[in-house]
Amino acid sequence: MTGRLRDRVALVTGGGKGVGAGVVKALAEKGVKVCINCNTNRAMAEETLRQVEAAGGEGFVFQADVTDAAQLQGMVDAIIEKWGRLDILVNNAAMQPNLFIDMYDYATLRRLWEINIGGYFHAVRACLPYLKKSDCGRIVNISSIHGKRPTGFDAGYAMTKGAIRMFTRELALELYADGITVNAVDLGGCKIEFKTGNAPIRAHNPLDCNNPDMNGFRQVTPRDVGELVCYLCTPEAQAVTGDGIRVDKGLILI
Amino acid sequence: MKNIVVLTDARMAEARLAGAYLAGQGWRVETVPEDICLWNEATLRAWAEPLAGEIAGVIHPAPPRILGGVEAVSEEEWSRAADEGPMAAWCVTKVFCGIMKDNGGGSMIYLNSIHAEKPVGLGALFSMGCAATQMLAREVAQDYGQFGVRSFFIQKGITQSDPDSKSPVSSVYYGVDMRYPTRKLPEEDQLNGLIAFLLTPEAAPLNGSDLMADGAMTQYYTHRRKVEGRPYYDWPSS
Repeated sequence: MTGRLRDRVALVTGGGKGVGAGVVKALAEKGVKVCINCNTNRAMAEETLRQVEAAGGEGFVFQADVTDAAQLQGMVDAIIEKWGRLDILVNNAAMQPNLFIDMYDYATLRRLWEINIGGYFHAVRACLPYLKKSDCGRIVNISSIHGKRPTGFDAGYAMTKGAIRMFTRELALELYADGITVNAVDLGGCKIEFKTGNAPIRAHNPLDCNNPDMNGFRQVTPRDVGELVCYLCTPEAQAVTGDGIRVDKGLILI
Repeated sequence: MKNIVVLTDARMAEARLAGAYLAGQGWRVETVPEDICLWNEATLRAWAEPLAGEIAGVIHPAPPRILGGVEAVSEEEWSRAADEGPMAAWCVTKVFCGIMKDNGGGSMIYLNSIHAEKPVGLGALFSMGCAATQMLAREVAQDYGQFGVRSFFIQKGITQSDPDSKSPVSSVYYGVDMRYPTRKLPEEDQLNGLIAFLLTPEAAPLNGSDLMADGAMTQYYTHRRKVEGRPYYDWPSS
């Protein structure tokens, strides 16, 4: 796979930590030059870049709020100025506040919508002119099994992940003629440094606390996600588009 | 006695038809006035509270469609799609499921669209809103199901008098006689009969259900065998 991705250029939103950092490192190991987007935690993004460079990869950190279309455009402009091309967009920046339906107010839910789906939407718009010029344009939307199955601990988050499911399918049809594939990666529980939202409220349920499936046994890692993203970005994956690929060690089936 | 069904948005023809059908079945149908913003919790709650003790069900239709390629969508359209779609669905849910929870139960019916699952290639804003509402409907089953509130998500396809049967952007509506095993579009009152059933105690085993009400149209796949004596649709040349 290494040779097939070498010297391609990628943007990974929310690439400084967690799942995004796993994707960044996997792509960089295969020769992809990566713009690591971060918003609030630049120090972790710089550490991810240090690890990329220590492994012989190439990248740079760009701090931008994905809800701001102008900042997104500035980030894409910086990529083009540095490398002259953009082949891969990995939409990943998101938050999960873990609130029940009646705990949301309009402002909180609208903010979540602007980050979790608006950030993806506007990043696509900023990147499309360059993805269309690529001979292997790729969009990968990191999503969640919450977009397929309810869990009862965050309806707002599930709504945004459901939206990503259809955003992915619509884009796949719309951009097929341009040779751009669009896929979603639907994560189950993933082992990362920390999450941005509250702890899941129903984790206080003794049944959940004693659930071995959610206690590490069936957790995936950012590396698992990164390897799948790398495959989806290869020319060999051209026929895979509009899909939502579940990465959860089969947890949803239990 | 709880005999009120609330219709949250009468702009869509299928919602008005459902309301008229239910009224004919003896339900008292109350429609949220157009000047009440569906994503403003305070004003929606103020309108609903005088009816609270009698509300047995709520029908929330999908909003008007905003179509167009992802690059062509304006910021105003983006914002309007967010408010009229997922934000309105959430606010309606919070207000009315809260009321029905306090009433001992009820039916929350999202009269939505096949585009929660089926893309058309030029409808990202609309489809995203549909899918978000679909996931909300499933979460409602968990959040409010324990209080007797049941949630249903209807994926409506086109019906006989539906203007969308002549979609300007999608080929999905070509070849109706092939796509529908019955070779005809469903009638509005067949859909309305389903809605009426969901309001009854007999529908109690259902909750969090996705109900495909599209006459099996979305089960159609373009790659079909051509068999003598069976219908076959030849695609238009342009």
